[in-house]
Amino acid sequence: MATPGGQGGGALSTRGGARRMKWALELTLGNARGRGDRQSNQGDVMYPIGYSDKPVPDTSIQESDKNLVEKRCWDVALGPLKQIPMNLFIMYMSGNTISIFPIMMVCMMAWRPIQALMSMSATFKLLENSNQQWLQGLVYSVGNLLGSALAIYKCQSMGLLPTHSSDWLAFIEPPVRMEIMGGGMVL
Amino acid sequence: MKPPAKMSKPTSLFVIFFSLFVMSEAVFEDQVGKFDWRQQYVGKTLFAHFDSHSQSSKKLFLATDKNIFASFNSRTGELFWRHVDKAGPEGTIDILLLHGQDALMVVGGGRLLRSWDTNMGGLNWEAVLDTGSFQAACFVAMQDTVKHVAVLKKAAISLHYLTNGHQKWVENLPDSDTVQYQAVYSGGEEEVYVLGVVPNSHLTIIAYSLEDGEIIKQRSVEAPWLSSVESSCVVVGHGVLMCVDTATLALYALPIQAEEAPQFNQILLQVTPVQPRLEVSPGFQPVLVSSQPHPARSPISEFFLQLGPDHHVLLQLNADGYTIAPLRDFQPAFLVSFSTTGEKTVAAVMTPKNETSDVFPPQLYVHAFLKKDDSVGYRVLVQTQDHALTFIQQPGRVVWTREEALADVVTMEMVDLPLTGTQAELEGEFGKKADGLFPMVLKRLSSQVILLQAWLAHLWKLFYEARKPHGQVKNEVTIETLSRDEFNLQKMMVMVTASGKLFGIDSKSGSILWKHYLENVQPNAVFKLIVQRTTAHFPHPPQCTLLIKDKDTGLASLHVFNPIFGRKSHIAPPALPRPILQSLLLPVIDQDYAKVLLLVDDQYKVTAFPSTKNVLQQLQEMASSIFFYLIRSDQGNLSGFRLRKDLSTERIWEVVLPTEVQKIVAVNGKRPNEHVHSQGRVMGDRSVLYKYLNPNLLAVVTESTDAHPERAFVGVFLVDGVTGRIIHEAVQRKARGPVHFVHSENWVVYEYWNTKSRRNEFSVLELFEGTELYNSTVFSSLDRPHLPQVLQQTYIFPSPITTMEATLTEKGITSRHLLVGLPSGAILSLPKMFLDPRRPEVVTEHSREENLIPYAPEMPIRTEWFINYNQTVARVKGIYTAPSGLESTCLVVAYGLDIYQTRVYPSKQFDVLKDDYDYVLISSVLFALFFATMISKRLAQVKLLNRAWR
Repeated sequence: MATPGGQGGGALSTRGGARRMKWALELTLGNARGRGDRQSNQGDVMYPIGYSDKPVPDTSIQESDKNLVEKRCWDVALGPLKQIPMNLFIMYMSGNTISIFPIMMVCMMAWRPIQALMSMSATFKLLENSNQQWLQGLVYSVGNLLGSALAIYKCQSMGLLPTHSSDWLAFIEPPVRMEIMGGGMVL
Repeated sequence: MKPPAKMSKPTSLFVIFFSLFVMSEAVFEDQVGKFDWRQQYVGKTLFAHFDSHSQSSKKLFLATDKNIFASFNSRTGELFWRHVDKAGPEGTIDILLLHGQDALMVVGGGRLLRSWDTNMGGLNWEAVLDTGSFQAACFVAMQDTVKHVAVLKKAAISLHYLTNGHQKWVENLPDSDTVQYQAVYSGGEEEVYVLGVVPNSHLTIIAYSLEDGEIIKQRSVEAPWLSSVESSCVVVGHGVLMCVDTATLALYALPIQAEEAPQFNQILLQVTPVQPRLEVSPGFQPVLVSSQPHPARSPISEFFLQLGPDHHVLLQLNADGYTIAPLRDFQPAFLVSFSTTGEKTVAAVMTPKNETSDVFPPQLYVHAFLKKDDSVGYRVLVQTQDHALTFIQQPGRVVWTREEALADVVTMEMVDLPLTGTQAELEGEFGKKADGLFPMVLKRLSSQVILLQAWLAHLWKLFYEARKPHGQVKNEVTIETLSRDEFNLQKMMVMVTASGKLFGIDSKSGSILWKHYLENVQPNAVFKLIVQRTTAHFPHPPQCTLLIKDKDTGLASLHVFNPIFGRKSHIAPPALPRPILQSLLLPVIDQDYAKVLLLVDDQYKVTAFPSTKNVLQQLQEMASSIFFYLIRSDQGNLSGFRLRKDLSTERIWEVVLPTEVQKIVAVNGKRPNEHVHSQGRVMGDRSVLYKYLNPNLLAVVTESTDAHPERAFVGVFLVDGVTGRIIHEAVQRKARGPVHFVHSENWVVYEYWNTKSRRNEFSVLELFEGTELYNSTVFSSLDRPHLPQVLQQTYIFPSPITTMEATLTEKGITSRHLLVGLPSGAILSLPKMFLDPRRPEVVTEHSREENLIPYAPEMPIRTEWFINYNQTVARVKGIYTAPSGLESTCLVVAYGLDIYQTRVYPSKQFDVLKDDYDYVLISSVLFALFFATMISKRLAQVKLLNRAWR
């Protein structure tokens, strides 16, 4: 099957070469119009005939891939929980004095879980493919809540939370005087 | 291994040191006189002399009733120097004599004889005199030079050298138990004459030899009409004693030096050939005035006879020594005086120019003085009844006036200055009721235009003045230009003086803006100054009321005036027919925004002022919540009263402290304008210890009547003024007064003398309600079942003190300091932090958290705490504090002999940029950064564009 084709091809070529070539193989890039502009962007690469640079969707579903997605989703869900030991360490190291660095750390610690909880919908989109989506979401939010609880605990131990009566002292109005009194030594 | 306690000590010390370092505040050198001023006074003049030593001299010497010897610049009235002696009878100046460069003074009722160098004001010498009450003193001359001074005591006469004060001789006076020796005279001869009198019997003349004090002559002259040499006799001419008999209105002449048995020559006033006939005003004791220009010469033969309060006659003793020639009759004439220069003598006569001038009848002194050789010039120093010293020069021009009444300030208040017209306009805009949208907008726009105009005018003025040389620009403060400044730092000081003169002083510059003399004020009157309406109620003028109580009759009167202009108000004060015991200012206001003053009379009836219908109605409604207390120190009685609806009162409680054991010396409530910002104190564990802030609490201080050092004690009672409940009593054994104390917020600080350890001690009492508030919304003394917790601590203070006051700020956020006046004249600003009964003996974590200083028994005095650096306030009597518009700033006035005004910042100036804040640097940096941002933004744009082109 291949031989007659080849012959035929050769005949075509020789015909074209004689008067009007039946077919021609262009080796320079400039005239390769049919491939379009995309080729020129990708450098001077000569693609073999029949090559398509569009990915071919792999339609076959494999068991191992599914596991991978699951794993990845669990990674996302467990992320906040994994940070807690680190945070604990930082908390321990920064101490309870109120100065700029511990405050910044506490702010970071408090802000990150809150941010994460606010962008919960985006995270859920990530976990869409997992079939344990709800569990993972729960674990994720619990982790974040734990993180913020830790931050609050840190605030508490630093004395930043208005939990004592002294924190509300400034708001106590002076009591209204019921009696009017005056006098003194007899002049 | 080191114990941990040792480790903590250096750190705690460091903390304390650091806190001290932070607290220390002092005036920088270039701030001297910027916020503060001092005025020095001397008091009422007793003796005055002009320095006649040299023609160009401009010195003036005064001895005053405040035991001060001072020298003034006669051109400006400024003080050259001043010697403040001990207060009280120990330092009284009995006489001041001036000769050449020596000023001689007998001090303390004849205790000391002092000689001062008038040039520098230094002490030449001081001699202790023998005991005996002082009678008279004079210079004694010998051969035309003054070398001695003779001092006459009740029973002795002594002669002292002028050069060193050594005693030449001292002689006892014969019959000193019957004869009252009252005068000493020396006319430049070899003798000193002592004149004594046995009242209504005879006159004794004793001549002492100058050399050895031997009695040369001793004679007695019948004089049954004579009762006192001092008041009715003078020496005139060549040693002729001229006496006036008040009963028969006759003049008597007697030559002192006469050898033979002398006799008084009677010259009847009625028969003297004077036209018109001389008549003594009814009830007036005639007085003679003569002059002895030089101690080495006889007195001049002309003399004045005062026949009435405003009637003087100039008389001359003829050469025969027995007859009198009248020279001139002066009527009206209040005061007369002689003055001599060289051979010429002038008689100065003060006559009132118009009828209104009798408001200020000059009371004491006219000193005339001759300055030129041929023409007679004069300078006159007049002391008026209101203690003002006026210096007048030749054409009758007043050169200067000194208000010496301010040496004795009794009480004072500070009043806010009024808003300017534009400010008031703005305020008025908000005050009025809304009358539609459009008129409101128009009003707003017009006020904005006014503001703009004022601002432009201000700018123009600034520009205009900037071209003038710096020295000429003077911000003269006058009553018209007075207006409140941005932070209400400038106020009007209303001062009440013991002489009954009121002053309005600008607190910024110290200039006297108005003065008002109240006549008929008794010397021992009691004053109470009350601000009834402040400047905050614009169309209504501010109103102050002065309660003046006469101690003798007990009757009181009210003087109502405008504190900004000093004018008497047209509001008629109520008639007070009964003696007034106390007054009480209510926070109730009438329709004119004046606070109501209640006056309690001796029948415990109450008079309200103002007493309009509105006020009476309000009083009726509130009567059940109005209480007052009265303390009678002589009976040891504290009693509380409640107001009834008909303005009578009922006694509801009484506390008696037996007067045999102790007597009440002072009582103090809290200041009504005091604000307490924080209702509690934060503990180290961050719980709250609530303060016991009872507005009705009184601190009553008693001293034991037993003065024995072992048994003497000082008591402090904290009494609720409404219920009479004794909240706390603290008794300090082996302690003696005088007790100085301050009662404020929830604490009382008092100072006393510890007789056992012989030192001054401060003690502080603080009252706390505990960690729970009983009732946080209302305070009623009638509903307080729990007694407060009381903490006390005592400290040793290294100096005695004379007065004490606490700083006061607008909102009470700033920490408090105690202002302590020391006898040295310094005013100490002592942080209340050091007087805190919670200061721990052992430092703990909690106490460190609370910034408590560990307890140390000794209270330090740091020199940077003296707020008046070297501007000492002599004999500081009181300190007045007033809040300013700035929370950080408290205005302080210390008064006594001097007046000193300053500002204090107990927590430093946290709400103001510093004085030396570098505006130029900051603004240039800001501008530079701004331009740098602009440029770099532009550059960045260019760069991006270029990159896009590539």
